[in-house]
Amino acid sequence: MSVMTYSEALNEAHRMAMRDDERVFVIGQDIGQYGGIYRVTEGLLAEFGKARVLDTPISEAAVTGASVGAALLGCRPILEIGFVDFVGTCWDQIVNQAAKYRYVSGGRASVPMVIRTACGAGLNYGVHHSQSLEAWFAHTPGLKVVMPATPADAKGLLLSAVEDDDPVVFFEHKLLYAMKEEVPEGKALVPLGKAKVRRRGKDVTIVAWSRAVHWALSAAEAVAAEDIDCEVIDLRTLVPFDETAVVDAVQRTGRLIVCHEACLTGGFGGEIIARIMERAFDWLDAPPVRVAAPDIPVPSSPPLEAIYLRPQTTLTDAIRTVVVSERH
Amino acid sequence: MSLSPEDLVEMYRKLLLIRCFEEVAFRLAQEGKFANYHGGLGQEAIPVGVCHGLASSDMTMITHRGLGVLIARGVTVKAVMAGLYAKAPSPTLGRTPIYHMAEPSLGILAGTSMVGSGIPLATGAALATKLTRRNDVTISFFGDGAVNRGDFHEGLNLAAVWNLPIVFFCENNFYAKSMPLAKSTAGGSILARAYGYGIPGRLVDGNDVVAVLKATQEAVLRARGGEGPTLIECETYRWTPHSTAGDREFARTAEELAEWKARCPVKRLQKRLLEKGHATREQLKKLDQGIKAEVQEAVAFAETAPYAAADVGLENVYR
Repeated sequence: MSVMTYSEALNEAHRMAMRDDERVFVIGQDIGQYGGIYRVTEGLLAEFGKARVLDTPISEAAVTGASVGAALLGCRPILEIGFVDFVGTCWDQIVNQAAKYRYVSGGRASVPMVIRTACGAGLNYGVHHSQSLEAWFAHTPGLKVVMPATPADAKGLLLSAVEDDDPVVFFEHKLLYAMKEEVPEGKALVPLGKAKVRRRGKDVTIVAWSRAVHWALSAAEAVAAEDIDCEVIDLRTLVPFDETAVVDAVQRTGRLIVCHEACLTGGFGGEIIARIMERAFDWLDAPPVRVAAPDIPVPSSPPLEAIYLRPQTTLTDAIRTVVVSERH
Repeated sequence: MSLSPEDLVEMYRKLLLIRCFEEVAFRLAQEGKFANYHGGLGQEAIPVGVCHGLASSDMTMITHRGLGVLIARGVTVKAVMAGLYAKAPSPTLGRTPIYHMAEPSLGILAGTSMVGSGIPLATGAALATKLTRRNDVTISFFGDGAVNRGDFHEGLNLAAVWNLPIVFFCENNFYAKSMPLAKSTAGGSILARAYGYGIPGRLVDGNDVVAVLKATQEAVLRARGGEGPTLIECETYRWTPHSTAGDREFARTAEELAEWKARCPVKRLQKRLLEKGHATREQLKKLDQGIKAEVQEAVAFAETAPYAAADVGLENVYR
């Protein structure tokens, strides 16, 4: 084990994947000499050369489409799209081409590519650099959606994503890049589709992913003094969705909160709650609750952005309401 | 490449086969046998001329008007017909229109319904062949309707800056559904756009199969030799409306159609074969009969084939 940041862990995963499999190449804007906006690809050009570290023009549709085409012919591209907000420029290539090739070819073709992209608010970047758009992708059959919350998961999930034969959209939260923790040595793969219990508890299950996992852990800590015992499940991947893990937890705690940074309407929290209503209704002691951003674009100034980021502050109250109201 | 009489006869056979397929498919679609058909009648010289000199490992990105390419690359007429009927033997298993089929083993990249969006994908196929040092070339087909899409411009630019082994092949039939080229395309020339990206452009008579073949081979040779992409603009004309889904014809005139029918690609090669003595009328007649029987057999096959079982709709979304 060695302590590294989320960025460093991702960088190590790239190096391991590229050393082990010459079909893997990285492609994107400013990823070579510059090392990527978040320094995730730093040093890859020196180690692997320009045939495997492809700096591209600002031309997202062509670059994304080209990655899909290369994947079809057996390459394993890792494409960096600096901000998930930019996917509108290459959406067609992702949802209509990458996601559907296996299906339309009767299983004879596949698109083993990873799209790495940064999401999340909190840096005052405003409406085009702050969104959490995971639900858009989760609503497209054929894509896998991965959202690591820690450096160790960032490394292990990226290694799994590169080895996966389907297109994987890999969300990195901008405010997690500097997070440090002990990361396992070697090729410590974290499987796609397996949630992780970050905290055991008996009163309420909080399901979260990406940065919201840390909000959930903080909130759980805060209410522990009030004798409220929270279970925190880090979903890690939305697609595949580890339904069993959530059902098991709800059967133990009888209460469910889903907390996500994305806005409320159409967010993946609604999907999780619907599944639980279908699968575990009889175990619920209280109505499930979503704690999510308001339905607004992500504003820029610190006080306005704080309104968008309200789940961070309202989660503790939501826990109290769900748990305490049902104790009477 | 030098053309032997055998080459010419083989190209004629493919022209006839695609012609017969186009006629039958269009009629069947009009009869409501399947959902819709984007006819390629009149444009047969392009798939035949482009594909004749390709290596089997070269890649072709098709379009919605690209079924001739499938046949020219070796997909059986039975499979293509089953594809139109969306039956179980379709390469897509009936999950999607046949022009979305992907068959990597035959070098066929799935066409898309978003006009021009196959261009970036084809560019990626060319990138892959370059990165993996395969000596293959990718042909990216598209129509005049695609040249005002960002995908066209982005794809040409990327292929040019990376010097990729690709041929951008524009089938200019002068109308994108009902939109005439003159009203849609600034600058008045598709070809001229090649120069903006610093790549060679060639204007070709798209109804002359030999001219199409020669222009393609020149571009393919350049690409294989590491000299990068070429844009070929082939002028041609579709003899049928945009599709069989109730398309109204108001922009195109009967005179225009008659003028293009006089430039029939099948008749032109037939004339050449007879004049040069590469074939007799009797031989060509026999060829024609064989092809008609082959297409009819394919129709019977597709008519009687079952639809895929319902479970097939649920499979192959993920590995």
